[in-house]
Amino acid sequence: MLTLEGVHVNFGGVQALKSASFAVAEGESIGLVGPNGAGKTTLFNVISGVVRPSGGRLDFRGQSLLKLPEWKRARLGIGRSFQIPRPLGHCTVRENLIVAQRFGARTNDPQRIDEILDILNLRDKADSDATTELALTEHKALEVGKALATNPSLLLLDEVLAGLETTSKRAFMERLGAVRDRYKLAMVIIEHDIPTIAALCPRVLVLNFGQIIADGAPDAVFRDPEVIRSYTGETTL
Amino acid sequence: MKHAMKHAILGAALLAAYVGVPLLFGGTPYVMGLIVAALTIAGVALAWALLGNLGGMVSFGHAAFFGVGSYTSAVLSMKLGVPVFAALLLGGLGAAVASVAMLPALRLRGPYFALAILAYAHIFQILATEMTPITGGAGGLLSIPRFPTLFGLEFGGKTGGYVIILTIILLSAFAYDAVRRSAWGLALKAMHDTEIATRVIGVPSTHLKAAMLALSAFITGVVGAFNAHFISFLEPDYAFSSTWTVLPIAAAIFGGYRTVWGPVVGALVIYLLDQLVFKPILPHGHQMVLGVLLCAMILLSPGGLLPVLLRRRRSEGGRHAHA
Amino acid sequence: MIELTLQALFSGLLAGGYYATVAVGLALVFGAMRVINLAHGELVLLAAYIAYAAESRYGINPVMAIPIALVVVASASAIVYALLSRIEHDREINSLILTFGIGIIMTNGILTIWAADIHSTTNPWFQDSLVIADTLFAMNAEVAFFIGGLALMAGVYWWLNHSWQGRAVRALTSNRNAAMLMGVNPRQTEILSFMIAALLATFAGVAIYTGKTVFPSLGHVLTVKAFIITVLAGMGSIHGVLIGAIMIGVIESLTVTYLSASLQELAGMLLFLVVLFVSPSGLFGGRRALAR
Repeated sequence: MLTLEGVHVNFGGVQALKSASFAVAEGESIGLVGPNGAGKTTLFNVISGVVRPSGGRLDFRGQSLLKLPEWKRARLGIGRSFQIPRPLGHCTVRENLIVAQRFGARTNDPQRIDEILDILNLRDKADSDATTELALTEHKALEVGKALATNPSLLLLDEVLAGLETTSKRAFMERLGAVRDRYKLAMVIIEHDIPTIAALCPRVLVLNFGQIIADGAPDAVFRDPEVIRSYTGETTL
Repeated sequence: MKHAMKHAILGAALLAAYVGVPLLFGGTPYVMGLIVAALTIAGVALAWALLGNLGGMVSFGHAAFFGVGSYTSAVLSMKLGVPVFAALLLGGLGAAVASVAMLPALRLRGPYFALAILAYAHIFQILATEMTPITGGAGGLLSIPRFPTLFGLEFGGKTGGYVIILTIILLSAFAYDAVRRSAWGLALKAMHDTEIATRVIGVPSTHLKAAMLALSAFITGVVGAFNAHFISFLEPDYAFSSTWTVLPIAAAIFGGYRTVWGPVVGALVIYLLDQLVFKPILPHGHQMVLGVLLCAMILLSPGGLLPVLLRRRRSEGGRHAHA
Repeated sequence: MIELTLQALFSGLLAGGYYATVAVGLALVFGAMRVINLAHGELVLLAAYIAYAAESRYGINPVMAIPIALVVVASASAIVYALLSRIEHDREINSLILTFGIGIIMTNGILTIWAADIHSTTNPWFQDSLVIADTLFAMNAEVAFFIGGLALMAGVYWWLNHSWQGRAVRALTSNRNAAMLMGVNPRQTEILSFMIAALLATFAGVAIYTGKTVFPSLGHVLTVKAFIITVLAGMGSIHGVLIGAIMIGVIESLTVTYLSASLQELAGMLLFLVVLFVSPSGLFGGRRALAR
């Protein structure tokens, strides 16, 4: 459904992405890993339209995304979360979802909003202020919720599990799995924790210095010497 | 219970505004004229605050919308014989169309946008002065048709004008409130802090801002058109006067631009003070006092006085309840 | 025809010189403080009126009045800064409204003290014409203040690039947080930028008084013009502002020569609109400047 071909991103002379090429199939779950600064978030920014690439092709279901603004991409079915949660200000949790649904999905379906609140365990916080009254887990859940409320077919999740303790992490993971199965989503997840990735995603992409250095099943990828080097800090220069 | 009381208060206020005020002051055209002029400022102040509160934009150019609205309506009714009430709405439409010319300015960040609108206001004033065949140029337009008599009600006089401007303000406030409560309002409020977060969930933020600019321009244009038919005379220096920018801003800031009614209350207070107190003391530089007031409000109570007063009353009420 | 055009270009160039002195001050303060001082044009106007008062009341030559005007304008500028720095919330919006209010106070103060009449210097030397290369005419005042203005801007340019404080201003302009981390004292630097802006404003005010005419509502016009120039320049650098100012000056002067004096203001505005449509980051601003 999503195809990237030779996508480049330059930030004032620094190459944040060098010729990234890969494809995501309908309903596929992919883990995106790599050291800090490897370009993972930049990749999400390119797909969701926050950053314009300096070159390459970016197609979604046969349509080029390159000229589309963020909000049109959201309406086409690309939902994303931010690593640092960005709840909508001056709004309750439910209002966050309502805005996402009205604008992103262009529907008015309170039932689905309740469903999202239930799956993400946000029901009790539905009427709390989204900026001031949420705990970290709930913030992360709301990030996923906002994306889900736009009725996406592809979900880009940027470290929604990071910073959570083991128990809440496991619970959250289960919820993510449920979400994916319930709405038949394709997912790309940025995540540092390898067991988590292995449990959720049958395919892993490794990004280092803006380049995809490995692509395959988790057990194969994490045994790849180049991947190990990139994580242990030794680089082949 | 609470709702019922709210409705009762609202009903009483409407009754007082529509019946009480004309009964009380209908016989004194001077007072009625002052009230209408104050409400004219209130209409622009409301529109200005809408743009600031929902659109997050400060405009120093609302005089442009006021002027375009008044000229559009006046010219349509004079040269093409459009009925005055229809011309009023077309005046608003004209101002909204003029706001489309400002759309490229929406690409600019906050302070630049504010100044760009200021520059636009100049352009419109020059155009009105130069397009003599249509606007009468610097000489102005005389005997613009007044409001007609409809259903046996005479709208041409002071009291008729009062009823019209009051209705314009109520409808505008209603529209403002409706937008504020809708998903649009939520998205607009959220946009100030994290525009990108709203865009990635499908909110076309620039379109929404443009819509608020057009709505604000429309209301201002209708108010300008009302004023043209009410006083029956226009000239560019008057229709595009900075007064139509300065007084509403002072009123909105004074009353509290983040509330719906603050700007209206602010306009009544500011305009009456300006006319009855400042102007007799300082006949030429009386706007200076407005400048002082603006600065004082920004430094001492940027949220405006109405919210502060309401809060004080509420907290006092709370104390009484405890005692 | 050619002579007329050359004359128009020349007059535009001279006008651009004083527009630039107004605009550089505005841009400098914006750079250092991220605040657009909407009362900047009024500061220029204040200087012009001080020169007028000194000349009409005490017979002081306007050039000699510069120090007096500087003291007054610098004090006014300091007050603007002091008030601005008291704003705590929503700085962007509130600083605009505050300086807008200050501008209203100053315009109306000038109106109250000196009435709405139009004034210009009564000293004949300034208005005497100077002929250059047999064909180009200018008033002494225009040429003198053009040269003086260029010298002053060159001085400011040198100061920005070579002095420690000037570099601090530039550091604040390009990256506020980084500059503060590196030990730039923002308050001191901001005050300094306000004072330099006051100096430029004083000079521009006296230039306008001697070479043009002054009236109370001019301040507002100057602020808008300075803003348009900085948009054209893209908030980049002093030479960008200078080029933008000369462009405005030349376009206005060509409009007056070939179309009509009443369209003078419109010409600059239209150029501004075109630039806004085509390249919202200005003509020389690169990417980082105005638009999001």
